[in-house]
Amino acid sequence: MGGLELLWSGLVSALAPINLAMVTLGLFIGALAGALPGITMLNAIVLVLPFTYGMDMVPSLLLLIGIYCGGVYAGSITGILFNIPGDPMNVPTTWEGFKLNKKGYAAKALGTAVMCSAIGGFLSALVMVLVAPPFARVALSFSSAEYFAVVVLGLVSVVTIGTTSIGSALICLFIGMFLGTIGVDIVYCVPRFTFGWQLMESGIEFTIVLIGLFAIGEVLDQLCVKREVQVEAFRGQAKTELPGFRHFWGLKGSILRGLGAGMAVGAIPGAGATVASFVSYGIERQVSKTPHLFGTGHWPGLAASETSVNGSTGGAMIPLLTLGIPGSGATAVMLGAFLLHGVQPGPLLFEKSPHEVYTIFVGTLLCNLIMILVGVIVARFFAYLMMVPDKILGAFIILFSLIGAFALRNEMADVWFMAIFGVIGFFMRRYDLPVPPLVLGLILGPLGEKYFQTAMAASGNDVTVFFTRPISAGLLLASLGFAVIPLIKKLRKAPVAV
Amino acid sequence: MEGTEKGLNLEREGPRAMKRLAGVGVIFALAGALFLLSFEIPSMPGQLGPAFWPRMTLVLLMVSCGIKAFEVLKERRMEKKESVAEDGEIMAGRLIAMILLTFATVYLMEVLGFFLAVVFFMFAFLGIAGMRFGLSMCSVSVLGTVALTYLFVKVVYLPLPKGYWVFEGVTLFIYRLLMII
Repeated sequence: MGGLELLWSGLVSALAPINLAMVTLGLFIGALAGALPGITMLNAIVLVLPFTYGMDMVPSLLLLIGIYCGGVYAGSITGILFNIPGDPMNVPTTWEGFKLNKKGYAAKALGTAVMCSAIGGFLSALVMVLVAPPFARVALSFSSAEYFAVVVLGLVSVVTIGTTSIGSALICLFIGMFLGTIGVDIVYCVPRFTFGWQLMESGIEFTIVLIGLFAIGEVLDQLCVKREVQVEAFRGQAKTELPGFRHFWGLKGSILRGLGAGMAVGAIPGAGATVASFVSYGIERQVSKTPHLFGTGHWPGLAASETSVNGSTGGAMIPLLTLGIPGSGATAVMLGAFLLHGVQPGPLLFEKSPHEVYTIFVGTLLCNLIMILVGVIVARFFAYLMMVPDKILGAFIILFSLIGAFALRNEMADVWFMAIFGVIGFFMRRYDLPVPPLVLGLILGPLGEKYFQTAMAASGNDVTVFFTRPISAGLLLASLGFAVIPLIKKLRKAPVAV
Repeated sequence: MEGTEKGLNLEREGPRAMKRLAGVGVIFALAGALFLLSFEIPSMPGQLGPAFWPRMTLVLLMVSCGIKAFEVLKERRMEKKESVAEDGEIMAGRLIAMILLTFATVYLMEVLGFFLAVVFFMFAFLGIAGMRFGLSMCSVSVLGTVALTYLFVKVVYLPLPKGYWVFEGVTLFIYRLLMII
């Protein structure tokens, strides 16, 4: 079946009522989670994940993609209206958006934000549709050695990009990788670190770790740490005014630069939307003829950062679908969703399930169009939603976490594990230990071990197999670069000792 | 004046750095203990064996602890600004109460059943979080629990725990009352 035929079948499938309903539901959940401070889009994806277990793969992934796209946009609503970014990725939008609100452009700023998000998300999804299949065909020639090198690249870049302390990130990464070794080894079928407990033989469910670290840890952090947040409340109803074509034509350069930055940064494993938004805002300021206007309520700054945030979603999906390497925390959880349904993302996914892949492609495109409508509705009612106290939200998040952990295997032991990881998650935040490297280590570690052991067995335990194959050697060299360059930069930047 | 501020910063930085170093030390010791335990995993002659990957991971974890310790000591010397992760003050009493409540709820879910345990959790959690006892607290606790039970037992068919002894009967009675069964 050709690409166009697959696209058509994907469109027909994506328009099926269940798939369309899941995209819309996901957008609403994501928009609410992204906009409510204290609940992130990632929290929402993690909380919904266990409940997708009983669903088919396509509707469940479309639900998660809906949450992803809705969540990355919606943090800008509270940023523009209340000066509280829903997520760190919405900080640059808040810098410009709230100032525009104070100038009396709240409705127009909300409209610009939702349209730029939709444009960024739609165009990046379009690029994903065009780029992913040929990329997957190249990846089909990969052997275990190349796959191992890809996993190493994913792990290394996750650790080094956007992290203040490399030591902390490495500790978390290797803790995650160690947790991934618990249970019966998949190559030799030998139990490891199970302490005679039968339940441990199937390993630690990564979903339980995810829920605990992200959801419970976040609630404890929100309710048990004193913070001085200045809330400049928005008065009145939050209406959205969709600006005309001329407004966007004037911002075309900012939108295109935001899209480029979002796509490129999003595709780098570990970078994600937060890095993309700051990079695009920085680029926009650099190329602007009026850089002094940035931070005072400047439309190009808002347009570039919002386009890049949603532009990163398509970029992050490319390495996930073609190589099985997540480009962000959200796509790491989506990798978990694939695995939960017994599907391994990678080039073979395009061979084995092309119909499902193209349904996801078209679903993502549709998702960005429906987002405009959802964004307008959510922003309109947001002034009321903000009245829900954080303590009530916190109680429900903990309950959803408990139910979610139980729903996986109907085992109370999983709920205990989840609660323990929740406490660990809180202390990780307090002690400057980043959670995403641990999650990535837990998910990618077992994959890395499988490819490493297979490649070594195939080559008669000859470790040079990783360096004699050009793609593998190139990827390992790139990994070395990712690991060493930030270290050198850090050493150069280090101030003189007192 | 500047010198005094610098002195105060160093004083504050000292115990924090020691705490961090102690944390790194605990992780290092745990990794070492697990490394020793890995020798209980059977080896495979002529092959890397199942113990190779966890051992490598644990060694790398111990090396990472060394890197972190070096970072902490360097930060202390260079009088680095306070970490963003440590900006707010922890409300220790509330934190301990919420952690204990979460564990207690997991235990009570098995004994009392989901419905009764969640009603208890909601009241206790909202109380600890500072909500005043009143109509809103009661309605959120009871109606929230009813809604969750209805959604997950009736709609999603999730076999949530019903509890032991007399509590199983109470849970079933509530389910009948709510027309869940």
